[in-house]
Amino acid sequence: MVASKKTKKTHESINNRLALVMKSGKYTLGYKTVLKSLRSSKGKLIIIANNCPPLRKSEIEYYAMLCKVGVHHYNGNNVDLGTACGKYFRVCCLSIIDPGDSDIIKSMPGDH
Amino acid sequence: MVKFLKPNKAVIVLQGRYAGRKAVIVKSFEEGSRDRPYGHCLVAGIKKYPSKVIRKDSAKKTAKKSRVKCFIKLVNYQHLMPTRYTLDVDLKDVVSVDALQTKDKKVAACKATKQRFEERFKTGKNRWFFTKLRF
Repeated sequence: MVASKKTKKTHESINNRLALVMKSGKYTLGYKTVLKSLRSSKGKLIIIANNCPPLRKSEIEYYAMLCKVGVHHYNGNNVDLGTACGKYFRVCCLSIIDPGDSDIIKSMPGDH
Repeated sequence: MVKFLKPNKAVIVLQGRYAGRKAVIVKSFEEGSRDRPYGHCLVAGIKKYPSKVIRKDSAKKTAKKSRVKCFIKLVNYQHLMPTRYTLDVDLKDVVSVDALQTKDKKVAACKATKQRFEERFKTGKNRWFFTKLRF
């Protein structure tokens, strides 16, 4: 019971931080641009939805490992992640390039 | 946040005739060039991997089996899969973009990289690079 409550709280905080990034920072949505941002070492944090196909998930994690960039596995599917970004489409993976006013990079990374 | 598409990085070519082959980045063009307005790099790869050498083989046979056939190509970053391996073989003087201009320059460059790859294979280092990727 306590565990689920904790995850709900942190889950909301991720959503809040993500909303702040959408408003004030730079980001890219989608697999192709996530890889591009990793190749050019512009990405600072990668967020992957939980229903991302496992091969694609592994590929993004491998690139992020080479790049030493944190990956956060979002607790929700691509529909939820799209909603969290304030978009009306599904988002499977996204890359935060510049967090703006948000502290998502500092508070999230240890996660895997 | 660390650039990893640097010279000496081992990569796997994903598209084209050489799909599935391992290659090493010789020179990378992050910002692209006039003809190729996208990030690309010059890679030198293995067209034909050396075969498995067994103890029974005679010297002549081992020599024949340890041959490597190379290719040199300019590849888009999107068509490469980077790996965590590196291969420090000095190919900068041999392989360059102007080596790709004419057929005979390309052949000469391929021959020189073939030499370097073969001598590296014979030392037994970088074994991963010289094994065929099974898929």
